[in-house]
Amino acid sequence: MPERRVLFEHRDVPGIETLEVYEKHGGYSALRKALSMTRQQVIDEVKASGVRGRGGAGFPAWIKWNGIPKDESKPHYVLCNADEGEPGTFKDRELMMRLPHQVIEGMVIAGYATLAKVGYIYIRGEYTEPARVMRRAIDEAYRAGYLGKNILGSGVDFDLYIHMGAGSYECGEESAMMSSLMGERGQPRLKFPHAPLPTIAGLWDCPTLINNVETLSCVPAIIRNGGAWYASMGTEKSTGTKIFSVSGHVNRPGNYEVEMGTPLMELLELAGGVKGKLKAVIPGGSSVPILPADKCDVNLDYESLQAAGTMLGSGGFMVLNDTVCIVRFMRRTAAFYAHESCGKCTPCREGTRWMVKIFDRILAGGGRMEDIDLLLDICDQIDGRSYCGLGDAAAWPIRASIKHFRHEYEYFIQHGHSIVEAEGKAVAV
Amino acid sequence: MSEPIRLGEYPRMRRVDERKPPELRFSQRAIEELERIKKHYPNKRAAMLPALWIAQREYGGYLPPEALMEVAYRMGTSYAVVEGVATFYTMYNKRPVGRVMLEVCTNLTCSICGGYEILRYLEEKLGIRVGETTPDGQFTLMEVECLNDCGNAPVMQVGNRYYGNLTLEKIDALLEELKSSEEHTVVQLADTIVQCHLTESERQDIERALARAAQAEEA
Repeated sequence: MPERRVLFEHRDVPGIETLEVYEKHGGYSALRKALSMTRQQVIDEVKASGVRGRGGAGFPAWIKWNGIPKDESKPHYVLCNADEGEPGTFKDRELMMRLPHQVIEGMVIAGYATLAKVGYIYIRGEYTEPARVMRRAIDEAYRAGYLGKNILGSGVDFDLYIHMGAGSYECGEESAMMSSLMGERGQPRLKFPHAPLPTIAGLWDCPTLINNVETLSCVPAIIRNGGAWYASMGTEKSTGTKIFSVSGHVNRPGNYEVEMGTPLMELLELAGGVKGKLKAVIPGGSSVPILPADKCDVNLDYESLQAAGTMLGSGGFMVLNDTVCIVRFMRRTAAFYAHESCGKCTPCREGTRWMVKIFDRILAGGGRMEDIDLLLDICDQIDGRSYCGLGDAAAWPIRASIKHFRHEYEYFIQHGHSIVEAEGKAVAV
Repeated sequence: MSEPIRLGEYPRMRRVDERKPPELRFSQRAIEELERIKKHYPNKRAAMLPALWIAQREYGGYLPPEALMEVAYRMGTSYAVVEGVATFYTMYNKRPVGRVMLEVCTNLTCSICGGYEILRYLEEKLGIRVGETTPDGQFTLMEVECLNDCGNAPVMQVGNRYYGNLTLEKIDALLEELKSSEEHTVVQLADTIVQCHLTESERQDIERALARAAQAEEA
């Protein structure tokens, strides 16, 4: 299967980031159409499309949209999650740099459907290049009457503000993002069912719709062509297209938009093939379990990847060849989570640090065989025991790496050096 | 391989006397900007992150305790609250930094694509270690987590810009270019972030308000 470009349809058109060119290519026609529909009709189209959250969780988007109260007793908000921080992912960066108006159009439609008058786009602090593009696009949209009061004479108001982060992976998690936007430390909050969903009590305890950049970017095409059209792509349960950010040991790294259900090996071919011999793939960002080469005969959709023991995640597709030492690679993964743990929940805060200490002992040549089981034990004690998914995400990759590459750990502990070195290869990490 | 992480490291901060009125250093422009950003949210507390960005720019690229004190004053909250927020986020510098901050990514993709080589080369070339600043105050070298431009790994951020597909030759050329430039990349980054918050009409508003203030002063 070749690329199937829906979000990226006009990515390569020169000047597509400007309003003029975007409008020439059908830009904002979806907004006009949405404004002529009822709010429930818009939500129903999103439902028919079957689009699922592209930030990593894969939660059906329409349930969030439909879960927003239909009355305006409190102000409603739309929050676009542009705090792209998942290692290996760079799709939102390109969506904002190349197609900022598509994001804005999606947000205004979401605002209309959920009765929100204010939207925020939370962009990570490092992303000043995409943020400047978004800034210019928002200014253009205000001038053209796509944002602000009485949009296109419809009586609908929608203001859109940029809010910049300041360096925290944790803020990509929705409840931490809300804390951060409200001016607090970016720490997560108690979740459903122990607390109301953000759709009921989100920002300032008001109904809030939170969607990823990519999810919102799907909306204009869904409204333009209909939900059924979108659902005709992909598989039955994983509809539409997905952007995969392919990086690592491939010949042509970059963002590739393919239909859901595309075989993994075809995506690798699209990206120019593997440099060297394939060892493993991490299909959905650093948080998802690693997939060894012999298990790579799998389709890229939520269900197939889950059946293969990993996840689609955010689509951060990292390719590792046989020069990568899994033990060192996983030490780097563990160090990342130790650095980014916000410190709120003890299992994650302490567990991630302990894992790094154990890895450092192994790498220093002082590893003991029981360390492997000790790592697994720590994984079990973090997984599911923290407020947000960061703890789980710290445990899954380590656990999967031991499952699939236990022999590498054992070799390192026995010999004090990597099996990759022993094979006479230069170690990539 | 990266250095062992230093567990429990916490930026020790000088204390300031909270009973004394703070010494206010925000420029008129900064005050105007903050007032407008506060209006984006239903309460002013939400403007905390932008306020700290403004402070980082106004105080020359980092947040000394005096800056946190001023933010607390302008946000109508306590020093402890501001310090709590400022120390949580990695991009707020708690210590003085050089004019040019080199932030090298060594996360997963970059690590297997030569990120550590770039980092070691810079250490050697600048004669400093990660986290340090050159004695002339020109360069600070930092190791950072994923910058999310993995398609161009290895990647480094300098102020407003990402530099990708780095090689040792590219680093040589870039360092020469940065040495001869005058820009304070850290201040520039903070300013860009502040400007990104402001809508076009707000930016025009600020210019008008500043022009009026300048006229009044002349008169």
